[in-house]
Amino acid sequence: MANKTQRIDEHVGELLSGYLDGELTQQQRQRVDIHCDTCTECKKNLEELRALRESIGKSRLSEIDQDVWREMMDDTTVRTSRGIGWLLFLGGVLVAMGIGVYEFVIASSLGLVEKLIVGATYGGLAVLFFSVLRQRLIERKTDKYKDVEI
Amino acid sequence: MKYMNIHEMRQELVQLGGGAHALAIQILGNADDAADAVQDAVTTALTKPGAYDDRKGPLNSWFLRVVRNRCFDLLRRRRSSDMPVDELVDPAANPEQALEIAQRDQVLKQALALISSEQRQIIVLRDYLDLSYAEIADVLSVAQGTVMSRLHRARLALREVLKGHGE
Repeated sequence: MANKTQRIDEHVGELLSGYLDGELTQQQRQRVDIHCDTCTECKKNLEELRALRESIGKSRLSEIDQDVWREMMDDTTVRTSRGIGWLLFLGGVLVAMGIGVYEFVIASSLGLVEKLIVGATYGGLAVLFFSVLRQRLIERKTDKYKDVEI
Repeated sequence: MKYMNIHEMRQELVQLGGGAHALAIQILGNADDAADAVQDAVTTALTKPGAYDDRKGPLNSWFLRVVRNRCFDLLRRRRSSDMPVDELVDPAANPEQALEIAQRDQVLKQALALISSEQRQIIVLRDYLDLSYAEIADVLSVAQGTVMSRLHRARLALREVLKGHGE
C-alpha cells in the first residue's frame, strides 16, 4: 500500500484531488491533463478517486431529514422566547409584589389589626395558590398518560 | 456587519443540519450523541446569533466549526474516542431502500472506521458536504495550503481500505 501511494506521489500526486475538486490553477490543470494523457496509472487513479468521491456524495451518512431539524429549531426558538417571557413576567411580578408589600406595611395608614387581617387574607390566598400549583406540577411530571391524545 | 436576519439563519441551519450531523457522527461515532451535539450547536447559534459575523466567512463553515467544537467537548467529557464501527453511518435506514443503501453504506462505514478521525472529517467536509478548500481550512482551523494534501492522503487511505475490503 505504501509503495503504491509513493508511486502516485511521483506523478501528479495531490494535484489529482485538486483537479477533481476544481481547486487548481489553469496551469496546474493543464499539467494534470498533459500528464494523464500519457500516464495510464495517474489516469486510473484519477478515475478511482472520482468514483470514490461520487460514492461518498451519494451515501447516507445522516438519516435525520430537514423536517426534524426544522422542528428542533422551532423548539429551540420557542424554548428561548418562553424562557425570556417567563423571566420578564416573574421579575415584574416580584417587583410589583415588593412595592405592594412596602406600601401596605410601611406607607399605608391602616392600623395593625387591619394590616394583620388583610395580610392574613392575601397570605392565605398565596399559600393556597402555591399549594395547588405545586400539586399540579408534581402531577404533570409524574403523569405517564400526559402525551396520550384523546 | 453581523448576520442580520435570524429567519435566514434558521433556514440555512435547517439545510445544514444533515451535513453537520454526518460530520458529528464521524467524530463521535454515535448518531444519537451526534444529534445532541448538533442540537447544542443550533441552540448556541440561535440564542447568540451575534456570535456569527458574516465578514469572517459563510455561515456553513462557522456553524460546522461550532458543531465540531461541541463534539470535542463531548469527547472530552466522555474521555474516550473509541469508535463503535456500526455507528459511523446513521443506522436508521429506510426499509424500502434498505438493501441497496445498506450494502453500499455498510462497506463505506467499515472503511471509514479504519481511517483516522481527521481523515474522515476532511473527506466528509469535501465529498459529502461539498465545502471548498477555503471553507474546509476554516472549519478545521488549518492552513488552506495544507487542505489539498491532507484530503488527498485521506482519499488514498480510504481507497486502499476499500480495495482491501473488496479483495
